[in-house]
Amino acid sequence: MSPEGETPRNSATFWRLLRFLAPYRTSLAVSVVLALVSQSGSLAFPWLTGDVVSAIRDHRRNALPALIGVVLAVGATKALATIGRRLISGRQALGVELDLRNVLYAKFVRLSFGYFDRHQTGQLMSRATVDLQSVRFFLGYGLIFFFQHVFTVFGVGVLLFVISWKLALISLAFSPVLVAVAYRYSSVSHPVLRDVQQKMADVATVAEENIVGVHVVKSFAQEQAQQDKFEHRSEILFSRSLRANRQRAFYVPLLAFMPLLGQAAVLLVGGEMVRRGSLSLAHFVSFNLYLSMVVFPLRMLGMWIGEGQRATASGERIFQVIDEPEEITSRPAARTLPAGPGTVRFERVSFGYDPLLPVLHEIDLELTAGKIVALIGLTGSGKTTLASLIPRFYDVQKGSVKIDGADVREVTLESLRREIGVIAQDPFLFSASVRDNLVFGAAEATDVEVREAARLAQADEFVARLPEGYDTVIGERGVTLSGGQRQRLAIARALLVDPRILILDDATASVDAATESRIRLGLLEAMRGRTTVIIAHRLSTIALADEIVVLEHGRVAARGGHDELVGTSQVYREIYEHGSFDQPGRREVA
Amino acid sequence: MRVWQPGSHLVSNRSTRVEDWSWAATKRRLTALYRLARPYRVRTTIAIISLLAATAASLAPPLLIGRAVDAVSGGHTGSLRLLVVLFIVASVVGTVCSYAQTYFTGWTGERMLADLRHHLFSHLQRLSLEFYEQNRAGVLISRLTNDVEALDELVTDGFTSLIQNTLTLLGAGVILLVLSWRLALAMMVVLPGLSVATAIFRKKSSRSYRGVRETLGAVTATLAEDIAGIRVLQAFTRERQARAHFREVGEAYRIKNQETVVQNALYFPAVDLLSSIATAIILGYGGYLVFDGQTKIGVLVAFLGYSANFFDPVQQLSQLYSTFLTAVAALDKIMEVLAAEPRVTDAPDATAIGRLRGEVRFRDVHFSYRRGAEVLHGIELDVPPGTTVALVGHTGAGKSTIAKLIARFYDPTSGAITIDGIDLRTVRQESLRRQLGIVPQEGFLFAGSLAANIAFGRPEASRAEILAAAAAVGVDEFVTTLPERYETELGERGYRLSLGQRQLVAFARALLADPRILILDEATSSVDIGAERRIEQALRRLLHGRTAFIIAHRLSTIRNANLILVLEEGRIVEQGSHDELLGRGGAYAELYGRRAAEVA
Repeated sequence: MSPEGETPRNSATFWRLLRFLAPYRTSLAVSVVLALVSQSGSLAFPWLTGDVVSAIRDHRRNALPALIGVVLAVGATKALATIGRRLISGRQALGVELDLRNVLYAKFVRLSFGYFDRHQTGQLMSRATVDLQSVRFFLGYGLIFFFQHVFTVFGVGVLLFVISWKLALISLAFSPVLVAVAYRYSSVSHPVLRDVQQKMADVATVAEENIVGVHVVKSFAQEQAQQDKFEHRSEILFSRSLRANRQRAFYVPLLAFMPLLGQAAVLLVGGEMVRRGSLSLAHFVSFNLYLSMVVFPLRMLGMWIGEGQRATASGERIFQVIDEPEEITSRPAARTLPAGPGTVRFERVSFGYDPLLPVLHEIDLELTAGKIVALIGLTGSGKTTLASLIPRFYDVQKGSVKIDGADVREVTLESLRREIGVIAQDPFLFSASVRDNLVFGAAEATDVEVREAARLAQADEFVARLPEGYDTVIGERGVTLSGGQRQRLAIARALLVDPRILILDDATASVDAATESRIRLGLLEAMRGRTTVIIAHRLSTIALADEIVVLEHGRVAARGGHDELVGTSQVYREIYEHGSFDQPGRREVA
Repeated sequence: MRVWQPGSHLVSNRSTRVEDWSWAATKRRLTALYRLARPYRVRTTIAIISLLAATAASLAPPLLIGRAVDAVSGGHTGSLRLLVVLFIVASVVGTVCSYAQTYFTGWTGERMLADLRHHLFSHLQRLSLEFYEQNRAGVLISRLTNDVEALDELVTDGFTSLIQNTLTLLGAGVILLVLSWRLALAMMVVLPGLSVATAIFRKKSSRSYRGVRETLGAVTATLAEDIAGIRVLQAFTRERQARAHFREVGEAYRIKNQETVVQNALYFPAVDLLSSIATAIILGYGGYLVFDGQTKIGVLVAFLGYSANFFDPVQQLSQLYSTFLTAVAALDKIMEVLAAEPRVTDAPDATAIGRLRGEVRFRDVHFSYRRGAEVLHGIELDVPPGTTVALVGHTGAGKSTIAKLIARFYDPTSGAITIDGIDLRTVRQESLRRQLGIVPQEGFLFAGSLAANIAFGRPEASRAEILAAAAAVGVDEFVTTLPERYETELGERGYRLSLGQRQLVAFARALLADPRILILDEATSSVDIGAERRIEQALRRLLHGRTAFIIAHRLSTIRNANLILVLEEGRIVEQGSHDELLGRGGAYAELYGRRAAEVA
């Protein structure tokens, strides 16, 4: 079986993988030559040993120094060639790895939201770590080793046949079996080892959630149940590790045993041949040495065939990502978004994440420049979806979205998104300093601007209290922020971009009453002069809006001011009645 | 071969720093390992015996081949046959013993580690919340995963390799000296060179590999974070900078890795060269010894065979050194966790508390966290059964500390907390917590089905009870949108619920546990308008007939509470109902009166 595998598709993937080596053609060629040189050196040793033996047998004392000189010279040449080969191919391996990773990363950042909705982070990380590892290992080192081993096996085979074809046949009888067994070991052990890894991950997951969620475990006094769960997973891991261990215990000694049988045969038959005079003692010695030399490469051949198949499978998965169509890109003729006040128009917009299940139906809506619009509606009514069409996170299936007269599909993505600030409900911050997070969309912002934005978002106070102020590293590796604090940083981050349009998924979550009202004041100031879309969940936020749009089942059910809607919209009234439960002062003033 | 594990990039890198090399510390470590191995004495013994036998058997072939060469050159067919038989016997014995050795070592090693994991996990579970607040989650997870794995390498491979290689080295040395001490000594002149080269290489290489691991960690972390934050990245059009940054990180990794390429490219050929020199010595000097009749050709052949037995073990042993250091460092860290004592423990005569009515009292309760100033100053509190208590005040006023004291996650520094007149320090923690329902601000989900998550506090609950609890708080309304309804897998690798949905699941969980006292850290508005009504209904349902402490944010909750405690800097500054407090015109009126007016 060849590394290209069985199906033509696999072989296509294999050749495509090889193309990553194209930039390194020269160094690949040089390292192949150097590998040939050093392997030839290795092949020379048993032969030279045989020569020494015959010199000794024939009492040619004077021949010895020259032979030893040759041994040393071959040894030195081999060492030099290997140094060169390792330097060149090591460099090339790292280069290929870097290229692969950069290609994959560049693809990731170009893929659209829809792709990330359909794929989990863990799955994508798997592509970029496990699969990439397997491919780069094979392309970087595997091929050269494979070539080396093939050369050694071939060279040894030829030499053995030259010495004595009969003995060669007898002694090498085990070699196809050895390759097959090594291949079998490599292919049966791989899924098992992978399974062990998976079970290890499972154990880690239980460990992790019990540590992160320790307060829940303790609150419900579930320590014993969790202990049982952990031990259960851990026992599974134990039994799987044992399975891997059994395989190892079986195959490794077996692989070592088979060549020993070949060697025993050589001793017996070869010894007899020497006695009968059909084989010289020198050849007998060389034969033995050659035989022990070929064992390792034979085993590795079996292994590399397996590696090659896995690398191809991994390559297949990587190419799946690379070949993924980029749904949302700037068109070739795209212009930059024209200047304007920030009028947003939805014209007969229909959209569904799955085209067969539309979420929005023929939405016609104009958002007046500089005004605040609150989108309200029950879960699933399409509020967030509608808002995410403005920065072209998704493309509409019918109709169009226009900003200041320009269809969002006709302008460059960069110019479009630079004019839109998005504040998500559960905002994502990077593991970096507060400042780096704030200037995320506006790298050139000055400290004064950063502070001003933070002040508007009511973030400056708590940032000042952080251990290192704006230089405090937050996120997974640093200070953990509350939901409310993250929210405020996200608002400041969006404001720093100075966007024409602001989209705010309102969840001034988990802040105390005083802070909440201050955030609202800050927001009012921040929204001045920008077209703002607020996906509102509360009356207090709705109260900020100039206009309210009520969505129901992906359609605009009503729009207007508060007073108007209380009279006309059943949905609004329901939400309002309910929401006012939360705000005792609201009813009197309204 | 490794699979991607969520969060794995957060787990701290392995260190090889060992702080304490004193005999006492070494003894502690050995004792710990011995304790782990003790239950498996028989298997350990079999493993060791088979290891010794396998190593001995592996030393035989070169000698036998050498002898065979001499037998052949002397024409002794009879002894050749005998040698071949011995050769086969040695091979079979070696194979069988190495099977037994691998199997039993693997079994014992894995078993010891499983035991260690269980022990460590149960110890962690016993530790008080305080311990968790003082140690980063990533570090603790690392103890259970990374550090146990580091130990694994030592226990399953390290010890075997140590014994095997040492014996091979010694055994081969003895055999060579016996065969021809002159040639043996001559050949061993390469050993100092090999040792020095190896020592230098290991030192440099382990430093470089640490760099490689760190830079690779940075690559993975960047990738993981950028994928998790891809939407933000694209929304802010940071693709170009992100790509440049990723290139930089990747380049840093490449540069570090290049160091190891150069080191390997120099070291391994150098070793190879030394081995060629050894061959030259064996053939050259050995050849003259044969000429002089001091040794035989077979001995030279045996020497060639054994020379590999010198080079491999020296390299293996040096490699072992870093495995060994890593494992000792890991063991120390694990033992440190095992040495930590829970601060809150059940008194020896602690009793199980009966069904609670839910009358909570604080008597002059003072409290400070272990390293810190006092955070509660003489709290006095009387809560009759069935009261809904709202705790309000600024962040850091002591609201959650009070909640934690009621659950006895901590004991007060002075004063006493009683429930139904019983001091919490005299009851068994489990019996207390089984009657508490604690709902944190962000509903925490475990990997597992939705049903299992709801039944978390009462795993024995029937299906009907789970469904009833889910229906009571409105989980049943969104469950129809989940791919497999109640069987949908949640958690890190499962389906993602929204904040509001998580909150409802947490409510259902608390309701099913049927607590006598409820402690709830209220999330203000992580919920949709539609869900909010459900939450309020759910809350009402949950509070009914129970004493409840709510760290409250929502005005509606506060207003509906029977008792409002206004906290300021660790003191209760006001208490009463909403109307009373508003009328008083104090701190509460300032906090909430203004807000009520502002809404307009």
